[in-house]
Amino acid sequence: MNKFFELIKRLMPPKGWKLTVAISLGVLAGLSATAFHISNATSYLSDDPRACINCHVMYPQYASWQHSSHRERANCNDCHVPHDNFLRKYYFKASDGRRHATIFTLRMEPQVIRINEPGKAVVQENCIRCHLNQINHVTAVQVTGKNYKEGKGHLCWDCHREVPHGRVSSQASTPNAIVPSLPKPAPDWLMQLIE
Amino acid sequence: MSENSTKKMKPWVYWLLFAITFIVVFIIGMLTASIMERRTETVARVDLVRNLPEYEPRNEVWGENFPRQYESYLKTLDTSFRSPYMGSAHIDYLEEYPELVVMWAGYAFSREYNQGRGHAYAVTDVRNILRTGGIEWSPQPATCWTCKSTDVPRLMKKVGVAEFYSKKFTDFGSEVVNPIGCQDCHDPKTMNLRITRPALTEALSRRGFDIKNATHQEMRSLVCAQCHVEYYFQKPTNYLTFPWDKGFSAEEMEAYYDEMNYYDWIHPLSKAKMLKAQHPDYELYMTGIHAQRGVACADCHMPYKVEGGSKFTDHHVRSPLANIANSCQVCHRESEKQLMEDVVSRQNKVMELRRLAEKSIAAAHIEAQKAWEAGATEQEMEPILKLIRSAQWRWDWVAAANGVGFHAPVEALRILGTSIQRAEQARGMLQVVFVRHNVPIPVKLPDVSTKELAQKYIGLDMDKARKDKENFLRTVVPEWDRIAKERQGTLMKYEYKR
Repeated sequence: MNKFFELIKRLMPPKGWKLTVAISLGVLAGLSATAFHISNATSYLSDDPRACINCHVMYPQYASWQHSSHRERANCNDCHVPHDNFLRKYYFKASDGRRHATIFTLRMEPQVIRINEPGKAVVQENCIRCHLNQINHVTAVQVTGKNYKEGKGHLCWDCHREVPHGRVSSQASTPNAIVPSLPKPAPDWLMQLIE
Repeated sequence: MSENSTKKMKPWVYWLLFAITFIVVFIIGMLTASIMERRTETVARVDLVRNLPEYEPRNEVWGENFPRQYESYLKTLDTSFRSPYMGSAHIDYLEEYPELVVMWAGYAFSREYNQGRGHAYAVTDVRNILRTGGIEWSPQPATCWTCKSTDVPRLMKKVGVAEFYSKKFTDFGSEVVNPIGCQDCHDPKTMNLRITRPALTEALSRRGFDIKNATHQEMRSLVCAQCHVEYYFQKPTNYLTFPWDKGFSAEEMEAYYDEMNYYDWIHPLSKAKMLKAQHPDYELYMTGIHAQRGVACADCHMPYKVEGGSKFTDHHVRSPLANIANSCQVCHRESEKQLMEDVVSRQNKVMELRRLAEKSIAAAHIEAQKAWEAGATEQEMEPILKLIRSAQWRWDWVAAANGVGFHAPVEALRILGTSIQRAEQARGMLQVVFVRHNVPIPVKLPDVSTKELAQKYIGLDMDKARKDKENFLRTVVPEWDRIAKERQGTLMKYEYKR
């Protein structure tokens, strides 16, 4: 315990520097909070499909889902993150999110977005999770996420190619699609004050 | 001791800490700027080749920016589709169901009533219909324009909402020239859906719902509910109002009208104080299974469409039966033939009861006329006339709605059931009146089996009305168009080209 206090003391700035350090740390924390706020960081903890269109590259996916029958029953996360346990769900979300954020920030997103391999296995698991009753045990028993990972069997959408996003997912595929817009970063009263 | 240790730290350590903080803050700043920049891309996503001012009424100008949506919208000019009862083709309903002439005696609907054509015909058809009269007889207020044109929001802004309603139909002939289109449902800056007609916003706010809280999915129905609803013109201001204060059902609206003693006209045959229902499509749809499952108007009437690699909302608003593959089959896995049968079989059932109601109500009006002629008293007739009013309101609530009840077959049949019950109850009471006044029963009903016979029976001079309309279309309308063209610079001719 003593050592802990010692460490705190060691990290404390000398007398003449306290003000400067406090302000600099405040700048650092405030700027981080701004980045956190304008990127809608907390929305990623939810299952709200609007979290997925914080980045506009996902508009085609949102718009095509919004016009599909899946809209009524399944949101993005119902299909695109695993649901067998809590830890795996958030681990998958976090690792996918880190990848997406990196690609988007560095402007490396492709024109036509295709689902990656781990994502495919998860979606396949989720097809079965809901559509268990529709699976014919003779013809479709091989169609599982596990089999796909091992290079065996097919995927549901090898045949059901339009479900639910349609075949074309390029950024140009849904021009002028009306999707919910992002919340304004600054509160209304502040904007009014500025005006 | 700590002071000693800090003193031990070399100056370059401070410089290092400074540099690290500098770099971290710099990077976070860059990241923040980058996020903001990418957010701006979102705002600027509507790529306009031509900027749209607020209240641009010309659809063809919007169309320069949105050629796909515009071209599909122009297809509402196509009148080739006909389903068993409706469609986009011209159908003369008075010809099909001559009883309607008797039911609407004394009201402009007895002159002409057709299946509505596509949105792009809205202005043409409201000018052409005999209900809006001609030069000698022009009974309608400007309120009739409210749902016909993209010019209306512009005019309401210019002259004021109440002032707009208080004018006459002919006052705005040269102002209202662009048919229902882009500006009616879209914000010209963001293309978001928005409500431009105050009656809907007012009606919902009286019910405690702020339209600003509507979700996008709700808006995909609410923009339609600006017009495809039951409404009335307040007297004497002609202020357009939706009778939703008590609720959305036929009974609740009827109670609303009864409470304020409202009537649209007094029937010249039966002397009943009548109500005319306008297409309560939205209200009827809300009681149906599709609405309960979250399906919006646009999902069936404006489904997603693919052209090349592009997906967009088909603005060819039309009967889903003309496009089962993109509307029904998004959710239902049955064949087109099967789905068509499912819809038509329900419409057949609704039509079966509708026809019973029409025959009963038309007969009740004529029998009431005979009863008056036989010397029936006000006291005797009062409960009968109330029943006739109620019966016809309920029939009309279903009949005036599009889709022959398919928006909610169970509710449609229930309302028609109560309509027939009321009409027959009125007729039963009329027989008692006949007996009391020594009129031999059954009373012989006149032959009103065709539109012409029925119009003659109620005393309409159709030749005069048609001639008046022809004069109006030949002399007044071209002048309206000339003034409009002068104002706008261009005036689109809405004609279907294959």
